[in-house]
Amino acid sequence: MSGFDAWAEAATDPGKAAGKPEALAGMRVLEICPGHFGGMVASSILGEFGAEVIKVEPPGGDPARRYAPEGITIEGTGLPFLSEARNRRFATLSLDEDEGREIFRRLARGADVIVTSESVARMDEAGIGHAALSVENPGLIFLALSLYGSFGPCADRPARDSDILCQALSGAPHIIGEPEEGSPPLPHQAPTRLGNWHGWFTQGLWGAFGVLAALRFRAETGKGQFVDVSGAEGLMKFVDYNITWMHTAGKSRRRIGNFDPAVFPYTYIKCRDGHTFMAAYNDEAFESLMTIIGRPELASDPRFSSPAARVRMENEKALQAILEEWSQHLTADEILRAIEEHTSKKSGPGAAVVTGRVNRPLETLAEANWRERECFAGVDDPVYGNLLLAAPPWKMSATPARLKSVCKRPGADNGEIYCGLLGLSAAEVDSLSARGVI
Amino acid sequence: MPSDRAGRSSAGAAFSLAEISSKPEALEGIRVIELATRIFGPATSDYLGEFGAEVIKVELPLRGDLMRYVAPEGFYWKEVSPAFLSLNRNKLHVAIDVRLPDGKELFARIAGKSDVLVENLRAGTMDEWGIGYRQLRERNPGLIYAANSGFGQWGPYSRGRASYDATAQAVSGMSAITGFPGHPPVKAGFWVGDYTAALFSAISILAALEARRRTGEGQLIDISQAEAMIRTLDWTWPYAGLTGKDRPRAGNLDPALPPSGIYRCADGYVAISARDEAERAGLLDAMNAASGQAAAAGGDRLSAGLVAAFAASRTQAEILRAAEGSGFSAAPVVGGEDHYRDPHLRARGTVWELDDPLYGRIDEYGPVPKLSESPGRIKWTAKPVGYHNEKVFSGLLGLSREEVQDLERKKVIGKWADAPGARPPVGMER
Repeated sequence: MSGFDAWAEAATDPGKAAGKPEALAGMRVLEICPGHFGGMVASSILGEFGAEVIKVEPPGGDPARRYAPEGITIEGTGLPFLSEARNRRFATLSLDEDEGREIFRRLARGADVIVTSESVARMDEAGIGHAALSVENPGLIFLALSLYGSFGPCADRPARDSDILCQALSGAPHIIGEPEEGSPPLPHQAPTRLGNWHGWFTQGLWGAFGVLAALRFRAETGKGQFVDVSGAEGLMKFVDYNITWMHTAGKSRRRIGNFDPAVFPYTYIKCRDGHTFMAAYNDEAFESLMTIIGRPELASDPRFSSPAARVRMENEKALQAILEEWSQHLTADEILRAIEEHTSKKSGPGAAVVTGRVNRPLETLAEANWRERECFAGVDDPVYGNLLLAAPPWKMSATPARLKSVCKRPGADNGEIYCGLLGLSAAEVDSLSARGVI
Repeated sequence: MPSDRAGRSSAGAAFSLAEISSKPEALEGIRVIELATRIFGPATSDYLGEFGAEVIKVELPLRGDLMRYVAPEGFYWKEVSPAFLSLNRNKLHVAIDVRLPDGKELFARIAGKSDVLVENLRAGTMDEWGIGYRQLRERNPGLIYAANSGFGQWGPYSRGRASYDATAQAVSGMSAITGFPGHPPVKAGFWVGDYTAALFSAISILAALEARRRTGEGQLIDISQAEAMIRTLDWTWPYAGLTGKDRPRAGNLDPALPPSGIYRCADGYVAISARDEAERAGLLDAMNAASGQAAAAGGDRLSAGLVAAFAASRTQAEILRAAEGSGFSAAPVVGGEDHYRDPHLRARGTVWELDDPLYGRIDEYGPVPKLSESPGRIKWTAKPVGYHNEKVFSGLLGLSREEVQDLERKKVIGKWADAPGARPPVGMER
């Protein structure tokens, strides 16, 4: 080794992040996304890079606080919300009241970005949409998140955006899971959702990306703009070559379990302690793998001797069985070592034999690698106790992202925001609070 | 703001597809040099290129990016794989043998004129080759260097371990929480671990550009695709921390928002969603109306089993109408063919109709975020290996015709192999 890893570790050590500047310092984001996780993701990403995020909840708290798998809550807040409430200040405000909307307009005058999952049409009607706010603040970047997007023939459909709807329309579940065999099919032979909220997550990530692209344009021109993101389209973008294949061959992707129509082997195989990923799809890598499993003659077997032959479904199934004959007696770690033993002597395409244990979450947590790289943070919060969170994934040498806080109660920062930022008196704040505006 | 159920929107005018080509681009003036293969790196720079960055994709002469040979069911169209096209739009394709000293120097000269570098080789490879961040920043301190990898640039797993999309799906825990109880973990049928991590990478590049505006300094970004996937697993980690248990596979039911999930219906599958009490009440109303009676009182009136029975005998269209009428939400489970034929997606440029100078009409997925003032766009699709050599070596670096020919003779630069995946369409060679 050239010592690059040690150099990179010193340069990007997350433990030193707190002493470094932040990429988005000075940028203020207002988040109005009640009940919406995608909006929280977009704001969190900007917040991890140093933007100041003010989450505006309805008085009484964001409905998303009540999303509670297995009924688990801490101080009235469920784990999904707590996983994504980081690096924020928390204000409450009723946008149902004229007075509340006026306060919102004042907040928007001083904001760089608004992130909202509320209906764009209703925001317009209430006088707090992009058109109205950008008159007073022409540099405002207005991010609208929704299921279908805010224009186009389906934009007015009255569906409330959620992860499962984003996933369904994205085309992802259509090609995830086991194909149907027989009629009626067994319950698990169905289009299958990704287990996490990947629809909402990618919606938020694309939202943050759009805001940052708009920010660069604003830096050059001074102009803000409207950024429209459909959650369905966010995940749709990841569903490979659906459209190009339809256009060129008239074919579209189907559900084929853990097989792959374009590359093989590229699959999960059974091993002694569960499952592991196994890929070796270019010819050179395939030859390496056949040598590793002690079947070098199969590299020239006509069923497997070219990429096109290997991706015929009957050959994928035959090869799956051959691989599992070998792997069933080995643990995932033994398989990894056997592969590394072989590929460490190679370079280039022949070394592209790739594996990795299908970890249960606790198995991931038990691996020292992620702890050393500070991928997880155990944070002790005065209100919500000790929480295990995923840390920002980037390691950056100059302006690293960072986790600064976990969550607060609804309205916990009302005083600081309404008195400090807007200059209201304590008596005015009390009065707004008594009338249910905040 | 009594409800966020949609009303008529006036946003459309700002997003007219016909006007996109006359609007400015958000990332105009940003130059990206890419030395990457397959998906993780190429998708990262593709996302930047959609918004106006100039992306110079560097491949090895002849075969180029191995993704060129990833072809669905072995199918090539006009000598190119449809799976390669969608990752490599708006790029300039040059072929340099960066393993040769002259090739490294040529690469470093382009990097010296670039704002961003994207690579996805095994950790440390670029540094060993003398064209890593440590060397390139000497010439170009403003360079933002995105090192995309499976496990990061340092740490126990960074040494020698290769990674694909599904490595990240597997080791992160994502697959373990995807699929049905009592059945094996499920790998997504698409390369989600690459695209998701690519988007994380592109986001951090834009953040680093913003930081550079103030400081003039570039930086190293180390992004691991496994770690990106870990970040997306929402309540998995606090749940594990609190209970000491693995979050179980929940099949098609969303365990945070029951009974929201995917259900089999009379003509396919449908997603039914209820985010709060009002939507749950709406769903219950629809189920009661369907059965002609009020459901029995009790805690389980909205069990997944009852919703499944409600959905089973109805079509997608009937369920969507019931949702609109009763106040819950629903959407059909659709696939690529549905996308291709969907007028809504075409009206949004999400299915983008491209007229490519080399390949003619080709439809692809377009940019995701729609920007009213500086919209993204697809200008051209991927090209054969080395297709833009002259443009970059003469135009950008100012090499003479003789110098270019000399580099060709020494095999420092080159063009496509005479093979499907690498070469131009038949009859279109220049």
